[in-house]
Amino acid sequence: GQEFQFGFCHVQGVKLQVLRKAFGTLRDTVQAQDNTTSVRLLRKEILQNISDAESCYFIRALLKFYLKAVFRNYYRQASELRLRRALSTLTNNFLALASALQPREEDKVFSLAESARRRFLQVQGAFQQLDVEAALIKAIGEVDILLTWMEKYYQ
Amino acid sequence: MKNVLHWDPPEGLTGVEVLYTVQYFIYGQKKWLDKPECRKSNRTYCDLSAETSDYEHQYYARVKASRKATCSKWTETGRFYPYLETQIGPPAVALTAGEKSISVVLTASEKWRRTLEEGAVSMQQVYPALVYNVSMYSPQSHRMWWQCVANGSLVVPWLEPDTLYCVRVEALVPGPPRLPLPSEKQCISTLKDQTQEWKIK
Amino acid sequence: DGVAVLPAPQNLSVHSTNMKHILTWSPVVVPGQTIYYSVQYQGEYESLYLSHMWIPSHWDSPIAKPECDVTDDITATVWYNFRVSATLGSQTSAWSILEHPFNRNSTVLTPPKTEVTKDGSHMVIELEDLGPHLEFNVVYWRSEPDAEERSKLIKNGGISVHLQTMEPGAKYCAKAQTLVKAIERRSAFSRVECVEVEGEALPL
Repeated sequence: GQEFQFGFCHVQGVKLQVLRKAFGTLRDTVQAQDNTTSVRLLRKEILQNISDAESCYFIRALLKFYLKAVFRNYYRQASELRLRRALSTLTNNFLALASALQPREEDKVFSLAESARRRFLQVQGAFQQLDVEAALIKAIGEVDILLTWMEKYYQ
Repeated sequence: MKNVLHWDPPEGLTGVEVLYTVQYFIYGQKKWLDKPECRKSNRTYCDLSAETSDYEHQYYARVKASRKATCSKWTETGRFYPYLETQIGPPAVALTAGEKSISVVLTASEKWRRTLEEGAVSMQQVYPALVYNVSMYSPQSHRMWWQCVANGSLVVPWLEPDTLYCVRVEALVPGPPRLPLPSEKQCISTLKDQTQEWKIK
Repeated sequence: DGVAVLPAPQNLSVHSTNMKHILTWSPVVVPGQTIYYSVQYQGEYESLYLSHMWIPSHWDSPIAKPECDVTDDITATVWYNFRVSATLGSQTSAWSILEHPFNRNSTVLTPPKTEVTKDGSHMVIELEDLGPHLEFNVVYWRSEPDAEERSKLIKNGGISVHLQTMEPGAKYCAKAQTLVKAIERRSAFSRVECVEVEGEALPL
């Protein structure tokens, strides 16, 4: 148990409860700062009907986005020590996940990768339409939505 | 998934006739929506179960107080995520005693529904990874056992004949920790040991 | 403002056993004075993307001993850097950084202490409580030729777990090993322990 199975991609060593607990520390602060409540990045329709096979491509794109575009720029805003420690737990576990989530060459299916990319571009597009600070806060405030989707692939 | 908004009266106005109006908001959508049954109501709670029944969405709610011609500003909740925050009701528990064992059959609680005509949805369907934490206690030996089971039944073997055992069951689902809602304690005695009876005759 | 005249601590290293990680260093000695130390850490993410970013260890307040339990700082299976500085009054030393980053997958895993007992005709085992990260694989069997080994995963130590019901006149044995899923590793097995139920086997 305690492993992710995103289609062909299998990852052990990252405990979802650790991520949940870390986000729980950030949640109230981050979500209270989110004033553009009429925008949801990880919309329900984007996360629905993703096949197992496609899920690995999609989660890789999301993790890369969070690691490179979101967490890095939010650290400055996480001035409180307990928030920074929680953020470090999230980012380093996301890093561990992303490094382990390499679909095998023989499993690469262009159509799946393309479908996952289109989904991801909807998330990124909505993110880029927002003011930078607001976008960071919103993306981090929606990590509970991301973790809930990831939970479907967690044994 | 029965989601009820509660609030306290404004300070200093307890016991005074104050009317409240409630609105709710679906995160990611455009505007606040009214809840007619909770408009100008004197109750300090409002059942928003129907409005928040899609548990994959997230919601806000807000309340304002009014008295005579004056009304207050809105007070707003944080973001509410039913899927992660609802409490999980205990299963129905059926016990059957054997000589040295007790069989426990569990039926998951049901998701809140508007009317009985609406099809029942088991919490097991909402949370496929739902498991049960079964605790059994022997008042005589003061011993307690725990066992986590994924499917709805188990047989607890290796018990003493003709002995009282009490069972409590709690449903656990993934996600952040939630307030537990264990079942009522149910007790049953194992049957007398038939082999002893034969020897006595 | 403290000028760095105090020597920086040396010989930082991490000693890790059963997922408990202790950072140690050589003490800075100033006769007759108490030296305090501050510890900070940086995960692989911070070192990759925010190399200037160091996070105070959860112990936070200055430490008087030349060691620090950094178990709660290491919350992912990635590389971690640590640095320590010494303080004496208004004097603060330079930071001294751990020579090689530490990854918790290198922790030393030891088998748990076990206690196999009988409770009437029941075989019961209690395992040493080694903290939240560790689970245990218990293998148990009836001591007879071609015995079938069975195993049970036990989530935490410190509680008695029922293994099986025993028949009079037979001997039953068990051994246990430590499991850590977070790093996908397990320890050697513990010493085998057996219990026996007096009396003769009952006629059928």
